[in-house]
Order: sequence, then C-alpha cells, then structure tokens
Amino acid sequence: MSVLDWSVLVLTLLGVITYGIYRSRGSRSMDDYLLAGQSLPWYHVGLSVMATQASAITFLSAPGQGFADGMRFVQFYFGLPLAMVVLSVTFVPIFHKLKVFTAYEFLENRFDVRVRTLTSGLFLLQRGLSTGLSIYAPAIILSTILGWNIYWTNLLMGGMVLLYTVTGGTKAISYTHLQQMAIVTFAMVVAGFLTVRLLPADVGFMDALHVAGKAGRMNLIDLKFDANSRYNIWSGLIGGFFLQLSYFGTDQSQVGRYLTGESIGQSRLGLLMNGLLKVPMQFLILLVGVLVFVFYQYNPTPTFFNKQETDKLKQSQYAGAYQVAEIKHQNLAAQRQRAVADMQVALDADDEAGQNAAGAVLRQTDDALKTVKADVVKLIEQNNPAADTNDVNYVFLRFVLDYLPHGLIGLLIAVIFSASMGSIAAAYNSLASTTVVDVYKRLVRREADDAHYLQASRWATVGWGVFCIVVAQFANQLGSMIEAVNILGSLFYGVILGVFVVAFYVKSIGGRATFWATLIAEVFVVLSWYLDLTAFLWLNVIGCLLVVGIAWVLEMAMGRNANA
Amino acid sequence: MPDNPSGLPPFARSWPQLYAIVIGSLVVEIVLFYAIMSWLS
Repeated sequence: MSVLDWSVLVLTLLGVITYGIYRSRGSRSMDDYLLAGQSLPWYHVGLSVMATQASAITFLSAPGQGFADGMRFVQFYFGLPLAMVVLSVTFVPIFHKLKVFTAYEFLENRFDVRVRTLTSGLFLLQRGLSTGLSIYAPAIILSTILGWNIYWTNLLMGGMVLLYTVTGGTKAISYTHLQQMAIVTFAMVVAGFLTVRLLPADVGFMDALHVAGKAGRMNLIDLKFDANSRYNIWSGLIGGFFLQLSYFGTDQSQVGRYLTGESIGQSRLGLLMNGLLKVPMQFLILLVGVLVFVFYQYNPTPTFFNKQETDKLKQSQYAGAYQVAEIKHQNLAAQRQRAVADMQVALDADDEAGQNAAGAVLRQTDDALKTVKADVVKLIEQNNPAADTNDVNYVFLRFVLDYLPHGLIGLLIAVIFSASMGSIAAAYNSLASTTVVDVYKRLVRREADDAHYLQASRWATVGWGVFCIVVAQFANQLGSMIEAVNILGSLFYGVILGVFVVAFYVKSIGGRATFWATLIAEVFVVLSWYLDLTAFLWLNVIGCLLVVGIAWVLEMAMGRNANA
Repeated sequence: MPDNPSGLPPFARSWPQLYAIVIGSLVVEIVLFYAIMSWLS
C-alpha cells in the first residue's frame, strides 16, 4: 500500500469514529445508551440493520463467490423480504409495546425468569464466541495479503470499535453505520465501474455480461428442487426465510437495532427497507465478482489466489508438481483467451451460433482450469495440512491490490474495516445490553439508579470487547473460519428460535415445559454435532423442532397447572 | 391488532399494502433475474 492508500484508510476510519462519537455525545441514561432513546427515524434503523448483517466477509467473500460460482448465491437472500414482513407484523409491535431493551425480556413476560435467563445465556455464549471469529476472519485475510501481524490486526479491528461503542453506545453505532454504508456503497460502485474500464477497449459492459452469461456465471435462478444443491430458489425462499427469521427475530445484535426506531411504524419501515434493498445490494456485490471473472478472461489469472500458500509450495518438495500444474494452467488460460476473442467477434457480428460455440469452449476450459486448481489445492494440503485451501475470500482483494489505482485500494481496505466494525459494534452492544438487562439488573442488582446501570453497560461493553479480542487471538486453532462461524451459530440458533416460536405461536405451552425442552434440545444438538450425526446446517431445523416438540410433550405430561 | 397508519410512506395507504409491495418487489426481481439469465445464456 502506498502513502496515499494509508492516508485514505486512516482518514476514512478516523472520520467515521469521530463523527460517531460527536453525534452521540450526551448519552445520559441507559435508554439512551442501549436504545438511542428510541428516537431514530426509519432510514437510520434500515441502514443500521443492513450494516450489522453485512460483515467484512460479505465484501471479501461475495465477489469471490461471484467469480468462482456466478450469481446463484443471490437466491440465498430470497427469504429475507418475507422474514421482514413477518417480523413487522409479529415481533416489532410486541417488543415495542412491552418497551423491552432485549428480546429475552419478552420471554419472562411470556414464560418465566428461568427461560429468559437460559435463552439469554445461550445467546451470550454463541454471540461472544462468534464475534471473536468475526474479528479474526477478515484480520487473517488482511494480514496474509498485506503482511500485517495477525495479533496486532485483531487488536486494531476489535479495539477501534470499542472506542466509540463504549463512549457513544447505540447512537454512535447507528450514526457510524450510516457513514459505513455510504462508504461501502460508494467504493463498491467505483470498483465495479473501474473493473469494466480495465477490460479491453472494444469490450463494453454489455459485452462483459454476455461473456459472463456464456461462461455460465449469470446463473441467477435455479428452479429445480434439489436437496443437495446449496443454492436454488426453493432453498432460498424456504431455508433462507427460517434462517433470516431466527437471525433478525432472536439475535439481540439485530433486535437492538430495530428497537431504536422512534415508533412501531419507524421500526417496521426500517426492516421493510432492508427487505426491499438487500436482494439488489447482494446482486450488485456478486456482479462485481462476475465482472472480475470477465476481467481475468482477458488477463493472466493466478492458479490459486492466496499467493502466500503458492509461494510456500514453490519452496517445498512439491515444487516440481506445482510447476507442471502451472504450465497446464497457462496453456488453458491461453486457450480461454482465444475463445473469448472468438466470442467478441461473434458478439460484434451478432452471430448466435458463433457465440454458443465460443461459450461451449469457455465452459470446457473453465472446468479444466478448476481441475488443475483442485490438483494445486491437494499439493497445498500435502505440503501444509493446516493451510487455508479456500481462496474465494482472497480473489477480490488480490484483484484490488494488483489492478486498482492507489487511493481506491486504501478506500477498499477501509470498506473491509468499516463493514467489520459495523457488525462487531452491534455485537458488543448486544452482548452488553443482554448482560446488564437480563443478568445483572434482573439477577444480581435489581435496585439501583439509572446512572449505575449506564456505568455497568459501559463496563460490560469493555469486558465483552476484551473477551472477543482474546477469542480472536486463539481463533487460528479452529480451521476454516466461515465453517466455524456457521457451526457455532447452528449449535444455538435453532434452539433459541424454537423458544421464540413457542412463545409467539403456541400459547398453550408454559414456562416449565419450555425451560426443560430448551435444555434437552441444546444437549441433543451439541451431542449430534459432537458425534457427527448430521450435517451442521440441519442442526438449526432439528434444534427448533426439538424445542417445540419436547415442550409440547412435557406440557401434555405435566399439565398446565404445573406451570402456574 | 389494528395497524398504526402513522409513519407510512406516501405511496402506501396501509401496512398490508406496504407488505404487498415488498413481496411484490421480490416477485418482480425473481422474474427479472430469470429473464436476464435466459437472455444472456
């Protein structure tokens, strides 16, 4: 990175943090600190919800996903608008009317203090650990590519957020979310625009889309129902709906965002704004990745985008085998360049048959390149069993560093920091509010003045910040980050969603049955994972259904009187 | 529970109408994506 990049990075981040602290000055009560005094308009709520969900990995991984796998990942978000509608109808009015600080307060209202404490405890465990991983995941990529020390990168990533979350609370988070979303949107649009400009002079945006389409990257919709296919319209609409409902409905890092709305209407509008904008936003991020794919059809492509791993390979006993794979890769890349040139001629001549023929060669070459890459991945694994063999997260950053102009590189690194800070800040805040409201104020010190709880909230934020940074420092022991985050979520999300499903929709089930059902279901889910009984994504469904089913059976066995 | 009409954007007369707009937009996006995919493939 040049001096200009460093200047842009530092000034952007300082600007965001200073603005957040400045706009949030004067938080004098717990309501101000944890819910921004429930004073925010819909666009604040909407952008804050979006910034919380969009982590750094979104902007590193999604373009890489578009590059490697095309546009089909967009289907994953089809369930989100439906979940926003259900939340607006059901969750938002109840949370607002009960004037709760956290989602788990509602559970005491509906069941009893045991269910509230157990559920908030499960949330704290899951969110505390996964926030540590959220700090580590982008930090390891930045440190690998830019040569930064991982421990200092973790500290910088997690520590900067503490500066404004401790002093300014939710209001600071919400104002910084606004800035972060503006920076992210601007930088991604410029990156997409410049990627098209980097294409050969006679290749325009529409030509690029045609090349991507013929190479199978504009695979936006898959109507076929296939349980083994991760992304199709049905898994997106049905699976995505349940996943987004549990995330936005029961995770305090999101509930805390839309509870800041000044009325039920403003909170609803914020969520519905997210429902309207999320799919187009993901479409555009994936499209940037697809444009990067088109760029590499005309330019030399690395065999594997994590250069550090291939450099290690060159120094190892596998150097010869790697060189053979490199030569194969170069020959195939040359073949692909000829096919893409044929495609351009066919596009200019409006020759449908020529386009299809060139498209077929492009797809064949693409498959052959994937086979060569798989061989290289095997060599990397043999050389270093602990190596990160998934280079999807490295594609976009590698492209940015190699081809985009100085200044914009600094801005895009700022985007990664901003996105990361946005989701980490919301997580710190949710951990602090749940600790103070559901544990400290409810179980430890019930009678104290507001100033005391405000101070406790600040200390809880510091405590969780330190905890998450410590977790991040040990996260390199866990292998694939994305999988680790998803496994961790799957161990708890399903069970927590089950508790809320019973609370909202099965009024006949009481607190005692729900408490024991939650405990039994959680033990079963953890055992299922430990004994490797099923793929981890199914643990979400199993956990939710187990809580509802066991609670119903226990309720029948114990009778309603037992709950009284 | 009656919907609170306050805070509705000018183009919607009720919350159910706004919910229909959000779901309708999703349907339009899916149809548009399918058309783009068919055109470019």
